[in-house]
Amino acid sequence: MNEDRFVRVGIRPEKEEPVLPGRAGRRKEFPFLSAGILSFIFLGCLLFPLFIQTDPAYLDLAHANAAPSRAFPFGTDALGRDLFAMIWHGGRISLWIGFAAAAVSTGIALVWGSASGLAPAWADALLMRLTDILLSIPSLILVLFLQALLGEPSALSLSLVIGLTGWADMAKVIRTEARQIRGSGYVTASRCMGGGFFHILWRHLTPNFISSILFMVVMSIRSAMAAEATLSFMGLGLPLETVSWGGMLALSERAFMTASWWVLWIPGGFLTATLLCVTQLGNYLRGRLNQKQSNL
Amino acid sequence: MKNRVFAFGKRLLGLILSLLVLSAAVFYLSRLAPGDPLVSYYGDRAEKMSAAEREWAEKKLGLDAPVSVQYLRWLERAVHGDFGISYQYKRDVLEVIGERAGNTLLLGGAGFFLIFGGALLLGVLCVWWEGRLPDRLLCRVGTVTSCVPEFWLSLLLIFIFAVRLRLLPSSGAYSTGGSAGAGDRLRHLLLPLAAVTLGHLWYYAYLVRNRLLEEVRAEYVLLAKSKGLGKRAILFRHCLRNLLPAYLSILAISAPHILGGTYIIETVFSYPGLGTLVYESARYQDYHLLMILSLLSGALVILCNTVGQLINGRIDPRIRDPEAAAGEGARR
Repeated sequence: MNEDRFVRVGIRPEKEEPVLPGRAGRRKEFPFLSAGILSFIFLGCLLFPLFIQTDPAYLDLAHANAAPSRAFPFGTDALGRDLFAMIWHGGRISLWIGFAAAAVSTGIALVWGSASGLAPAWADALLMRLTDILLSIPSLILVLFLQALLGEPSALSLSLVIGLTGWADMAKVIRTEARQIRGSGYVTASRCMGGGFFHILWRHLTPNFISSILFMVVMSIRSAMAAEATLSFMGLGLPLETVSWGGMLALSERAFMTASWWVLWIPGGFLTATLLCVTQLGNYLRGRLNQKQSNL
Repeated sequence: MKNRVFAFGKRLLGLILSLLVLSAAVFYLSRLAPGDPLVSYYGDRAEKMSAAEREWAEKKLGLDAPVSVQYLRWLERAVHGDFGISYQYKRDVLEVIGERAGNTLLLGGAGFFLIFGGALLLGVLCVWWEGRLPDRLLCRVGTVTSCVPEFWLSLLLIFIFAVRLRLLPSSGAYSTGGSAGAGDRLRHLLLPLAAVTLGHLWYYAYLVRNRLLEEVRAEYVLLAKSKGLGKRAILFRHCLRNLLPAYLSILAISAPHILGGTYIIETVFSYPGLGTLVYESARYQDYHLLMILSLLSGALVILCNTVGQLINGRIDPRIRDPEAAAGEGARR
């Protein structure tokens, strides 16, 4: 019998961890590039405003719409504000809102999701129905209403608003995780020994879904930053005097007239780069690549 | 049969209850938001009105009663199919919406098909060349595009194609004054459609890719291979077919999400659709218009979720409402 006449399929290498060509099969590499860019933007926003003499809100009408040059590294916008100063000052606000809003929505989602996951079926159904209803209200209305309730828009109130409108999706994921864990023996045991709701939440549930939560938290920082930019761009977020990356783009209509590309590309570029780096870090946190070999 | 009717009735009841709660919530929220609805109706004249005139105008619009009474009045009319008039357009809200809905459905619908067709295609391409250059390239490019905020993407498209290259119009759904032919419509549709599609495409393509990667690691693939089936036959006839039902339910659930995503893009492109209408009505206290728009979008969300659940239930009866399953068992 000639062995070559048979095509042998699905043969696995003898070793436990096969060395696959390329990157597949290895543990995800830490995204050094993303982390580097992100920390540069972070430090820049933290430190540069201390050294820059220009006031980002100063209207230098003599130099309006100046292209990037030595005096204005990023150029100026239609009102003559220095984009270089605005980027670093605005970045402080944008990043701050991203983190604060993510903290708010994570807190709510954690409590709401685990409550729903641990509650009896009828309460679970009720809580989830309420989240569905919340998700179906156009978020624009919610945002307008919440801002009215909190008064004068500021970085703090805007992050509260974004946090309060952005927790529902995360709560649903947590609820599903909690329902899966809830049937397990150790939660029942803890209950039998008189463990209260918060005890179970903190000691048993949180450690179990911390990795998927961590990923969602990072992603919610990303979506909060994007939401802030969108709202400020539409004139629904921060007041115009408060500089943020999204607010800088609100003047882009005028940039169209004068075709000043820098007003459009620079703030948006910073925003997108930050969002991209955050995403890469989030993906890294999500864990290992699929290590099994493909059968195909 | 009886069980079916019972389950259907239960779902319908849930739908109606949800819509009731939603309508009440939006009604109260919109009235708590700041701003003067009279400005929306009378324009600048409202600011010059005397106290007596204001009182008369508020009475005319039915804004003088307590909010709860207003809500009950609105509800009574709404049940009879009368959703009131728009303050801004001074016409029946259904008429106002009817004019615009077509535009949004065109944009959202076309975007929907492009997104889901494209996502399936990209996902399959990635799996076919898993770990090799096309896959890695697509993943890279896809991750970047999925991080670009929609409004900025729209701005960039306008800047490049309308301002710089002057190829395509930057706003509206058709040229003013000109003949509104199909070609003209299409030219106006291209940029917003590109923004809608690019904004969502990779999210779903990545989803398809990951699910399909799990699928090709299943044991049955090995069996098919040992039977002598080719790569293409296994991927398309077996793996993809296994994936499709789950994909369908994802498709159903995300329909309102995609339609909602058009709202911001519509605003940037001044595209006369429902999105601009939502924005205007929420901003300028056009109460009746706001109510009907929220109800429509709420109904859509709930409806699509139900469809998604039904598809899931068909595929895997275990996912179905456990109570209903228990009840069915008891009755049998």
